[in-house]
Amino acid sequence: MATRIRLPLLLPRSFPPLRSLKHVHTEAVKEPQYPPIVASLTAKSKSARLRQNEERIKLISSSPVEEKLSLITRIQRMKFVVYPQTFSRNPDRWYQHFTKTAYIPGLPEKFNPATEGSQLATDQPAVPEIDDAAFNEIRDLVTRVILHEHWHKMRKRQPFLYKHQEQVVGPFLKTLVSELTYNLAKYNPLLRLSSLDLSPQVNFYWRRGKRIIPKGHRRGRQEPIRFQIDDHPHSQIRIPQQLPQFAPLEASYTAEVPEIHLAPNMMPLFRRQYDNNIFTGAKLPDPACYGHTQFHLVPDRYHRDRLARQQHSDQVEPFLRANAAASLFAWTGAQAMYQGFWDYQDVSRPFVSQAVITDGHFFSFFCYQLNTLALSVETDANNPRKNLLWGTESLRLYEGVQDGAVVGLDDCVIRLLVQFLMNRPHS
Amino acid sequence: MLPEATRYLKATVSLFSPNVFLNASKLSAHGAPSSLQTRRNLRVSHCFAARVPPQKKPREKVEIPGLEMVTYGDRMHYVPGLAKPVYPPWEMSFKDPRYYRSPPAQEMALYKDKPCYVFNQRTSILEGVRQAAWLTKTHVRPGLLPHLVSLAAKPENQLPDQDEHVQNAIKHSRFWDTTEPRPRKEKYSNTLLLNLLHLCATLQPTHPAVGRRILAENYSLAATWKRGEDLFQIRGRNGLLHCSMDPLPRICGEQEVLETSDQVLESFYPVSPTIDLQQVSVYKEEMNCTGFRGEYPYPHAHTLYFLETSDPNCQLRPEQFRAKMIMFTFGNALARAHKLYGTQPQSLLERPITVQAVGTNGRIFQFLVFQLNTTDLSGDDGIKNQAWLDEDVELYDFAKVRPFIKRKEVKVPAGLAGYKPETFSKFLALYLHGAA
Repeated sequence: MATRIRLPLLLPRSFPPLRSLKHVHTEAVKEPQYPPIVASLTAKSKSARLRQNEERIKLISSSPVEEKLSLITRIQRMKFVVYPQTFSRNPDRWYQHFTKTAYIPGLPEKFNPATEGSQLATDQPAVPEIDDAAFNEIRDLVTRVILHEHWHKMRKRQPFLYKHQEQVVGPFLKTLVSELTYNLAKYNPLLRLSSLDLSPQVNFYWRRGKRIIPKGHRRGRQEPIRFQIDDHPHSQIRIPQQLPQFAPLEASYTAEVPEIHLAPNMMPLFRRQYDNNIFTGAKLPDPACYGHTQFHLVPDRYHRDRLARQQHSDQVEPFLRANAAASLFAWTGAQAMYQGFWDYQDVSRPFVSQAVITDGHFFSFFCYQLNTLALSVETDANNPRKNLLWGTESLRLYEGVQDGAVVGLDDCVIRLLVQFLMNRPHS
Repeated sequence: MLPEATRYLKATVSLFSPNVFLNASKLSAHGAPSSLQTRRNLRVSHCFAARVPPQKKPREKVEIPGLEMVTYGDRMHYVPGLAKPVYPPWEMSFKDPRYYRSPPAQEMALYKDKPCYVFNQRTSILEGVRQAAWLTKTHVRPGLLPHLVSLAAKPENQLPDQDEHVQNAIKHSRFWDTTEPRPRKEKYSNTLLLNLLHLCATLQPTHPAVGRRILAENYSLAATWKRGEDLFQIRGRNGLLHCSMDPLPRICGEQEVLETSDQVLESFYPVSPTIDLQQVSVYKEEMNCTGFRGEYPYPHAHTLYFLETSDPNCQLRPEQFRAKMIMFTFGNALARAHKLYGTQPQSLLERPITVQAVGTNGRIFQFLVFQLNTTDLSGDDGIKNQAWLDEDVELYDFAKVRPFIKRKEVKVPAGLAGYKPETFSKFLALYLHGAA
């Protein structure tokens, strides 16, 4: 049967579409008549999955910081657990790749290099506020602390196997850090507002890179590679104001980050699934939310004497660099996330922290600048920024203790320690 | 193996159960193993709970001197009718620390007939502060002296924004220190003490004498003294010690020190003053050690800091905790007095030694100031030492992670509640004593 169309008897005086076409370039832009056409949210399709991710990113970006952190770390999945102190060979290149860090030998221009400092010691003090008399006082204090721990304190028996660092060097480092901090508080008022944590916890969770799932019901699909660092430094100093940057953001564009094309489990690195934590050492409400300096202790099993016995002396420096890279990346990353920055909202200002790694005799100094948190595949595609790590080789503080006197105390190391603790914002 | 253990093993080897050894030695009311009550294990199943037949007494061996026993030793195998050979006990020709057997106490080099009573860090004495006062010949007074407390009331001895910083320190130790909802008690009490010490130490720019001190931990203290007929010793590690280059000034004037000779020590007869102390027969006499050797640049003890231990075997009640504080403070003072003035008892020290102590469990603080006036502790009369003890001072009332709600009413809100600033003033006053 033919369909009959009933035309209206009275046609409208003017046809609205023609009228709007005439005036489209002259009138002001009107509100869109229809909502934007986007992919479905609930369909079983790839575009729906993309739309779901976008909605999630929008939700996270617009939430307050505490909710943001809990939304990012809510779902538990298998992730690689990155240990800052590791037995792997050449871990520093692997960790630089995971954290997109470029290593620059030596310290930034702010701290005079160690070799220059020893020659100019008498002429120009490295730190302008500390004159020679004050430096001599600090040197005497360091001598007293060394003798207090290694000579004067009576020990009934030698520490048991693999307990030497924990029972002898740990308390020495703790006393050294606290005494130096309190002594330098008169020159650096920021230290008076600082918070000194002993045996704190630092955690960070991030994604970098992609892999194709080899087996299972999700075979062939892309999956981001997740990492978690659970670090336990010996002690750390947290401050309420941020440290100034060592180098401008743009300077990191030319830095080189080692690329490793092997999967992380080749390192060896192992996967586990547990709580994802992002923690600087204290929870969000703490006013001291920025980091100043961390102190790490080299455990007995990675001590250079043991590595020398196993003919792995060339692994001493890579171990220290890897430790610094992982620990400081986790700390600065957690500080940045506490301020609301994350993968899709990259940091607007660099986050800076310092670390000193020691085994009692040898001290290594590291400075880290976090320029980018955007490490996942989608955000890293056009990201020229890289994180920067400056570091020194190991420097010996003293040769030994004989008959109640310290032998071979090195002034450069003390100077560097003082400079590190004196670092503060310019105002 | 011990002969008793061998007997139990033989009796129960047929039962072949590991649980048997748990109840192997049941004691009777008189404290001696009774044959009627032993060897019934009622905690296991019925097949093992049956009555084990009583042991047969081995035949008595008669030793006749001069009579040579004919043994089967030469034959190298058992022969019925011949005696069992007895060989001298075999000893290794070299020294191996894995297989070392210590000789019995009577054969040790340092064995003495007279026992010594030792107070260590795990001792929990029955009568608490009274017993500690009797053992150390001390007159204990409640409350700190006002001139000490007023030290912290002066504005130059206070931190800028003191209350805010202290409350942040408490919140950090109670809430913010861990990824879990709340940290454990031993962790938060330790963190709180270290945070408060950190706050006090930030006064070093304005009080340079604070820089002449150092915190020491895990040092071993030893001090010996005679009280009446008995010998007492304090040994062990107590906790944190603040050592200083300068001694603390005396708290009490000479007149009051001489007046203490009129006061009588509180007695708790019929309980013996040596109760709960470890009795040892092997000890070194005249063992006095401050924990440090050589020309130590910080020879004077300033303050001791005590924390409650997490060891479940020695949980100290508040009274016993205060007693431990008094004993270790006295021990430190006495060790230094012996070093300065010699080990001969002196009835009046020309410069009395003052040592302070602070003990905490994370919320409640105990403050102690001890002045050692005399090392002549044998008699009950004469000049006594003095102690001022401030008990159970709360720093805050509640620090709850979740609010305490009863019958739909919030009794205690979440967060820090009931902060008392006077407690930190006392803490700071004790810290700055001698430096301000």
